[in-house]
Amino acid sequence: MLRRRAAAISVLAVLSAAFATGCSAPGADQESSGDNSGPIKIALVDAQSGQLSSLGAWELKGARLAIDEWNAAGGIDGRQIQLGVFDDQGDPTVGTNLARKIDSEGYIAMIGTAESAVTIAMAPILKQAQIPNITSGQSPGLVAVGSEFLFLNGPTSTTYDETLARHVVDDQGVRSIAMISNNGGYGKGEHDAFLKALRSRGVTPVADQVVTTDQKDFSAALTGIRQKNPKVIFLGAEEVESGLIVKQARDLGITATFVGAAPQGTPVFIDTAGARNAEGTIVSSPYLSNEINDASKKFAAAYRKKFNEEAELHGAKAYDGTQILLTALKTSNVATGKDLAEAIRATRYQGLLGAFAFDKTGVGIFETSIGTIQSGKLVAAS
Amino acid sequence: MQVFLQTIVGGVSLGAVYALVALGFSLVYRTMGLVNFAHGNVVTVGAYLASTFYLSTKLPFALAMVIAIALTGAIGLVIERVLRPLENRDFDLMLIGTIGFGIVLDALIIMIWGATGRAVPSPVPSAPLDLFGLRIRTYDLVVLAIAAVATVLLVLFLSRTKRGAAMQAVAMDHEAATAVGIHVGHSNAVAFMIGGGLAALAGGLVGPLLYVSPALGGALGIKGFAAAILGGFGSIPGAIVGGLAIGILDSFTAGHFQGYSELVTFLVFTVIIMVRPTGVFGERTVNRA
Repeated sequence: MLRRRAAAISVLAVLSAAFATGCSAPGADQESSGDNSGPIKIALVDAQSGQLSSLGAWELKGARLAIDEWNAAGGIDGRQIQLGVFDDQGDPTVGTNLARKIDSEGYIAMIGTAESAVTIAMAPILKQAQIPNITSGQSPGLVAVGSEFLFLNGPTSTTYDETLARHVVDDQGVRSIAMISNNGGYGKGEHDAFLKALRSRGVTPVADQVVTTDQKDFSAALTGIRQKNPKVIFLGAEEVESGLIVKQARDLGITATFVGAAPQGTPVFIDTAGARNAEGTIVSSPYLSNEINDASKKFAAAYRKKFNEEAELHGAKAYDGTQILLTALKTSNVATGKDLAEAIRATRYQGLLGAFAFDKTGVGIFETSIGTIQSGKLVAAS
Repeated sequence: MQVFLQTIVGGVSLGAVYALVALGFSLVYRTMGLVNFAHGNVVTVGAYLASTFYLSTKLPFALAMVIAIALTGAIGLVIERVLRPLENRDFDLMLIGTIGFGIVLDALIIMIWGATGRAVPSPVPSAPLDLFGLRIRTYDLVVLAIAAVATVLLVLFLSRTKRGAAMQAVAMDHEAATAVGIHVGHSNAVAFMIGGGLAALAGGLVGPLLYVSPALGGALGIKGFAAAILGGFGSIPGAIVGGLAIGILDSFTAGHFQGYSELVTFLVFTVIIMVRPTGVFGERTVNRA
């Protein structure tokens, strides 16, 4: 019922947009963003259904929190900020359709998505439409797209995995390392980035297993790894799949320490693997806990008050990304298109993840910290 | 050798679940000649129901399963009752009707339980058995045992009871069955009810092995459907053999072809089906479509 109503509303919106375009003089295209009245329209595109929907739910909460704070403080230039939520189902095809849709509906900027593959698919359309996009993806493939309208609200896999390799190989002196990663956008990026970090240290992984994104049984890959008896196993897969891999690995009697990036620090990973199986997992993350400093404590308290649950990395990233976008909108007096993209690039922002300063490629942060999972919680490594 | 055996062990436990899903497909197909496309979604509902009673209401796992099976059996009855007016009139509409039911169930799942999933801890927490370096999860043995018992009960029901015999008769020739006084509608209803129950059995059992989310049934449904076809659609032993075969095949291709495993699994499946279009146990009792 809700969905039907939403569909009806969007049909209406498209019709009225088409009508408005039809009525205006030729050439005077409806830069609905260009007019200085009405709310500022920002789109959030993320998986709100499917296996990756937990990411979308966190991201929505982070973005919502930031926007509500700005709206409560009077908005930007006296205009309220309106957040339109779109469900990409974690599917690149749906994503490209949504990219056209937010363009035609006059959204001036986009938050999301949390899936690199979806964002990469949407990027060319958003670039053409000149809609700046702050994504939560971290695949180096995002940088390879080369769009001046694409920004990352966190480090890329290269940063995550370089920090991880430094900790594991340089600091702990472990050289017996196995890898298991999936062949999706995220997993491929992680695989390449970690392998590169290992190679630069002269380490060759004892096993390098690739699985598919919806594989359920990992016996073959894990038994292969078990025979090599590695000290450390690198996980390059999303939350649920990583959790299943760890659970099955422990059942097979593998006692090696697991290491990974952002997904391995989430409650979904810990629940799927089982807290006992995930114990000791080493995580490279730009946001280890809510207790790191005053800003994160304040964010976590506001998050808990609003959504009645504990904040985590993905909410924090989306919060930072949204704050940067809103700051850029404010400093540029609600510019759109190229000007807004330039304003985002020029924004220097001290966020929850650290100090953001965007470079040409749209990456603003180049640092992560090491944490471990202890008693089912991610804590900073001592 | 160890990798080989461990791969089989890994494939068999999921294979048993595929077999249960395939049984649900096959049972409805042999009775009505209808592919129930909502079956995968009923599996998801079953998984959510079982995990809800197990985790939230803290019922024992077995009891949670029984309640889930009863409820999905009722869902099966509802689907059959709604589709009944179409029986023998418009077959295509019935097929589309099952797809529609699948979409409705999918939407209901997201409305009731949300779009995010949940992890179900294993009800058999003991450590895996170690046989000459081969690790066998105790829970896998439970899954296999339950799947075997369910199959035996189903076969006994079909061959030894009056209702079961009536269903077999309907499967062979529904007009002749009607002529001797068998209510075809009742037969179909029982088939859908048992199919629904089997879906919850598969979904509930797979919960602790995997992650219960709205997408769960989609993956299991496709593999289960492929298993049913492979074994010979409509055949009970075929469903079991097909399920185990798909599970083990999947496990092996994952080991050898890594990222391309899914592709290879279905390529092999296609070749087998091209060589033997009726599947391994292709009995073709049903010829109504």
